Amino acid sequence: MSDKLRLGSIALLATVLLLLPFIRDSVNEEVARFVSDSESSHVGLPNEWDENQAICIYFPVEHPHPVYSSGVSMINADGSMIGVNYDLNLTGACVGGFEGYTDGMNFMMDATRVAGGHLAVGYFVNPNWGEFVHTIGGLNDQEVQGDFNGAYWSLTHNGRYSVVGIGSLVMEEGDVISWNIETW
Amino acid sequence: MLDAHAIVLSPFETLVLNLSLLAVVAWSMWKAEKSLDSGNDLTILALITIFAITGRILLEPLPNVQPVTVVVLLVGIHYGATRSIGVATIIAITSNLVMGHGLWTFYQALGWALVGITGAVLSQSLRVDDKISVPRVAGVSFVVAFAFDWVVSVSVLHTLPLETLPVYILAGLPFDLVHGVGNVAFAAWLAEPISDIMTRHSTSREVVVSPVKSSS
Repeated sequence: MSDKLRLGSIALLATVLLLLPFIRDSVNEEVARFVSDSESSHVGLPNEWDENQAICIYFPVEHPHPVYSSGVSMINADGSMIGVNYDLNLTGACVGGFEGYTDGMNFMMDATRVAGGHLAVGYFVNPNWGEFVHTIGGLNDQEVQGDFNGAYWSLTHNGRYSVVGIGSLVMEEGDVISWNIETW
Repeated sequence: MLDAHAIVLSPFETLVLNLSLLAVVAWSMWKAEKSLDSGNDLTILALITIFAITGRILLEPLPNVQPVTVVVLLVGIHYGATRSIGVATIIAITSNLVMGHGLWTFYQALGWALVGITGAVLSQSLRVDDKISVPRVAGVSFVVAFAFDWVVSVSVLHTLPLETLPVYILAGLPFDLVHGVGNVAFAAWLAEPISDIMTRHSTSREVVVSPVKSSS
């Protein structure tokens, strides 16, 4: 009995570990359904992006972006500047007008590239937990210091905190993701 | 110039290295225990705590697979709730010095303390004829894996609104499953030897259930 349990448990553990990426993918698709409401997340973005995917990067007041330091710049997928929204009480940039992306990380890398290096993304990859974004647009989360323990780039998916990392995020048409610095 | 620090190990090589190191730790402690006078349960608690800390740190390459939950459960079964709470807290703090300390340490300590208390409460029903029942310990360790993870998940309420908690817990289910299956494996391999050691060096249990022997 106990020998069977020993060998069986090791075999089961190995199987679950090997299947883990597939189990995670199917669970993450379920998770994405909970955040599929994307109506309000387009508020403040150009109307022509309403049916499209967009990404926004917001910078903290103490660490403004060298270029997007006043209002939120709206950059189209083709690289053209649509305008600047000064009513959001935030500073940073949004890149939008994309469609067809399902993989959050692919979308983020392609969309930020449109800004020509101004929104360059730095991340490292943990073999278990996936991609961890530490730098966007030259701002490393370690540089943000103050009366708190630490700061990190926090991911929002359709206006809600994302419960999965950017590497596991499954996107649908019209989705908006945004990043801002949070402290803990 | 030869620089060993320049050698970068692949995740698999790291895992093999870490498993070897953990085997050395377990083997040396297993040997050391043989020469211990019986009745020294605090020494055993110290050894077992160090084993759990080392195991948690070295098994980091495997997501959520670590011996702490099963060890704390066994401490609860053999040495009672109070000691398991101490062991749970020490393990959480010490291993997080390496793995990262923050607010979550409190929830991990709380979660493992609850696991230890569960072991203490179920102590009698996890034995058959005064011997530990490995299948029962394995079953309980599978269930408490989910309970522990959910207690730790509650810590996200510091940053996320309440309505995201169910989705957050759903997103974590694959990792809860790995934790549970890992616990079953640790219980299958470790419950009996650790239980034997703890029984050999258990003073407190006898003290609790029967009067202290009078010394002349």
